Amino acid sequence: MAKTPGGTNREGPRVSRRGLLQGSVASGAAALGNFAGGAAQAQADAQATGSTTPTVSFSINGKTQTATLDARTTLLDYLREDLDLTGTKVGCNHAQCGACTVLIDGARVNSCLTLMATLEGSEVTTIEGISDEGELHPMQQAFIDNDGFQCGYCTPGQIMSAIGCVREGHAGSAPEIREYMSGNLCRCGAYKGIVAAVEQARDQVEEAG
Amino acid sequence: MSIGNPVHRIDGKLKVTGSANYAADFSVGTPLYAELVTSTVGLGRVTSIDDSAARAVPGVRAVYSHANPLPVDAADFFGAGGRAQQSWRPFESADVRFNGEIVGLVVADTLIGAREAARSMRVQYEEQDPAAVFGASGLEPEDLPDRGLSMGDIEQAMEASSQRVEETYTTYANTHNAMELFSTTAQWAGDELTVYVPSQWVEGFAAGIAEELGIDAARVRVVSPYVGGGFGGKGSLFTWTAMVAAAARDQGRPVKLYVTREQGFTTASYRAETEQDFRLGATADGRFTGFEHQGREISSRADTYVVNGGENTARMYHADAVRTGVTCIHADRQTPGFMRAPPEAPYFFALESGVDELAWKLSMDPVELRRINDIDAEPVNGVPFTSRSLMECYDAAAERFGWSDYEQTVGARTEGDWLVGWGCATATYPTQMGPCAVRIHFDATGQARVWVASHDVGTGAYTVIAQATALALGIPVDSVKVELGDSRLPPGTIAGGSISTASNVSAIEMAVAQIHDRMGTTAETMDPTAAFEAFGQRAIEEYAEWIPPAASRQQAKTLYNGKVAIVGGAEEDYTAFAFGAQFAEVRVHKYTREIRVPRLIGAFAAGRIMNEQTARSQYLGGMIWGIGHALLEKTEVDPRNGKIVNANIAEYLVPTNADVQELEAILVPETDTKVNPAGVKGIGEIGIVGTAAAIANAVYHATGTRVRHTPIHVEDLLPQA
Repeated sequence: MAKTPGGTNREGPRVSRRGLLQGSVASGAAALGNFAGGAAQAQADAQATGSTTPTVSFSINGKTQTATLDARTTLLDYLREDLDLTGTKVGCNHAQCGACTVLIDGARVNSCLTLMATLEGSEVTTIEGISDEGELHPMQQAFIDNDGFQCGYCTPGQIMSAIGCVREGHAGSAPEIREYMSGNLCRCGAYKGIVAAVEQARDQVEEAG
Repeated sequence: MSIGNPVHRIDGKLKVTGSANYAADFSVGTPLYAELVTSTVGLGRVTSIDDSAARAVPGVRAVYSHANPLPVDAADFFGAGGRAQQSWRPFESADVRFNGEIVGLVVADTLIGAREAARSMRVQYEEQDPAAVFGASGLEPEDLPDRGLSMGDIEQAMEASSQRVEETYTTYANTHNAMELFSTTAQWAGDELTVYVPSQWVEGFAAGIAEELGIDAARVRVVSPYVGGGFGGKGSLFTWTAMVAAAARDQGRPVKLYVTREQGFTTASYRAETEQDFRLGATADGRFTGFEHQGREISSRADTYVVNGGENTARMYHADAVRTGVTCIHADRQTPGFMRAPPEAPYFFALESGVDELAWKLSMDPVELRRINDIDAEPVNGVPFTSRSLMECYDAAAERFGWSDYEQTVGARTEGDWLVGWGCATATYPTQMGPCAVRIHFDATGQARVWVASHDVGTGAYTVIAQATALALGIPVDSVKVELGDSRLPPGTIAGGSISTASNVSAIEMAVAQIHDRMGTTAETMDPTAAFEAFGQRAIEEYAEWIPPAASRQQAKTLYNGKVAIVGGAEEDYTAFAFGAQFAEVRVHKYTREIRVPRLIGAFAAGRIMNEQTARSQYLGGMIWGIGHALLEKTEVDPRNGKIVNANIAEYLVPTNADVQELEAILVPETDTKVNPAGVKGIGEIGIVGTAAAIANAVYHATGTRVRHTPIHVEDLLPQA
């Protein structure tokens, strides 16, 4: 049974795919990880096999699952509309704002331009997956401590991006943080608090690896 | 009065864990999905709609258009006392009134199916040339003589000046672009309707939706507990919201609509472009003589909407004579609306640029020029300010900035290949309030609950309401639970005009006073266990309707009617404004003319501050908006076809993290016992107001180029060919 976001099922041939590049066509925001090619590869594969409803196995927040989906399904829509994991926000659907940032195999990616078909074998982590038994992740606590948000809408994306930023080694100084966090827009203008939050949580995130 | 504790946001944990539910996050089972189709011409009419390909998409349930309209009535325009973003309804005719107008709505089983179907619609048009921008032929000017202010003989006063500035300043159109996409999810249970929609005004939305659907307002519930940024863009009822509800009724299923970022540029409101003719004269020793500020503002053909900032600029400084006016320029565009500091952001760019120009002509320090013209009562009618700490703000910010090193010479300072300039400007915002009702429940365990249909659009309303309740009752902040953003709650105010905190806190203090009165307690001596034992009940509940003292009888009646009343600013017997002073350092690259803002410092005095941390964040956010206004933000309309050519969040530039460097807001203490019982002035909008002029003034200081429009771009500073 193939799923499209919104939950209805469509019949279709089952196709397994392996070894695809994970990620998104991360455009616009230079600071984001570069995984360009995944979507194009998926499209090429779909054309090669004639399938429009691939079956993909992946894990989300540590839970392994398999789904047969409309090949056009994005990770963002799948998370929000099918899994009800609405912590990941939709701000543009064009990888321009960063509100939908998640971690794929540890690297930050815009989920809005990531096709589910590219996620075979991938580990996806969303904002719902980073706190431990109700204990906030150090980056989450740092955002509260430094008022690194106002409306809170870009916040899940900012936090996921901040974790990725630290892991990439791009949180060495305030100017570096500002540069490497600029793929995540905050219209309320909480940038000063965001930079302070990343500085506060940096060491703990680095230690945790 | 005191500055409230920097309590962290009580909704912080929900927001950092992704558990705060914004409108599109509510689960309604398995909804149908809707997608809008918008016009691709700027004026004309739809001649045919071929929806065969759209209907062939699997799972498509319906295609609505003027040929198959939804039963949605017109609602009155917000600016005319109603609730709607504009008075035009989609599908009311085949006419296309502006580029990007809604011409179709597709409903399908899946989100992907709805998108595919919307893109498969083939709409044919008979196209005309729109008059969409200033300078186009076919614009319709409408003079609004009753909106102007005048005092004294302006010509005589200008004659008496030894220096004068007479210039035209222009500001470009801006779009709110809150990070949250616009959306609506509508769910019926029998004839009861629940609508999840991002809203700064749940009461008005519920009443407006009921009006548009022709049903009883008591049957409509609007839910919007967390709003992903408002800035005015979610304050008036969207045209699509009742359409989605009507589609849900038609289909017998919940319907969910995401409006795309691009569609959000044309199917909601925006800040219209302005042209402002400005005159200011001064005597040789800097005393202002004549002041004139005339605005021209773009609106739609359907609605008269102007922000008319001359009403406020005229009240800032001494003047011997004043004349202001505004003209609405009807164009082939959607109706504009309020956006953060609607009158002040554009009109104070002109005023504060003009004052700076005059300071240069007079060879006077621009801070001192403002000091010479500082006043205790507004000049038009001589009505006193409830408080005015403008010069205290200047002194605090100037000291922090190091303004004593200012040298009034163009290009006085360079660092490497960068020209460095300094500038300053006044910020202000009227202090306003609205009728507001709250319910407070307080029990013997010491826990309190507060209910009000107010909104937290990022302002910190949840936290400030909890703090105000805790302080008034005499209990800890974490003993207070707050519910907001639901039209079933006691009617709060619109989250606009920076009125929420003053109104909420006044109403809360009233309700808590009733509790203390009945229980014989005080905040200072509150011991819940003992107090309730003595009282003989396990809990108490009080309800308060607070009406601003200056409200007219008609304004007082807006509670429960889904109407807006905003009281304050320039009233008959008092003038209430918050003030600030903003200082900017800019660097302009000698060769590339790249403009950077390494330092921005503002000092603000706004009466009683409820929470130092959330207040500071509001100021800083406003200042960052000012950077956008000054240097980045421009909704670019193609004059040939009225199309917004940068209708996305990558090409409509908003400040990014890397655009913001040293940024500081100083909270200047101020006590105002006259403005409202809470002593609170609004702070959500003032931060943007002086920033653009401070930056433009600094650009002049660095380069000698006076740019009289926003945004200021690299090309404005290139040598003229």
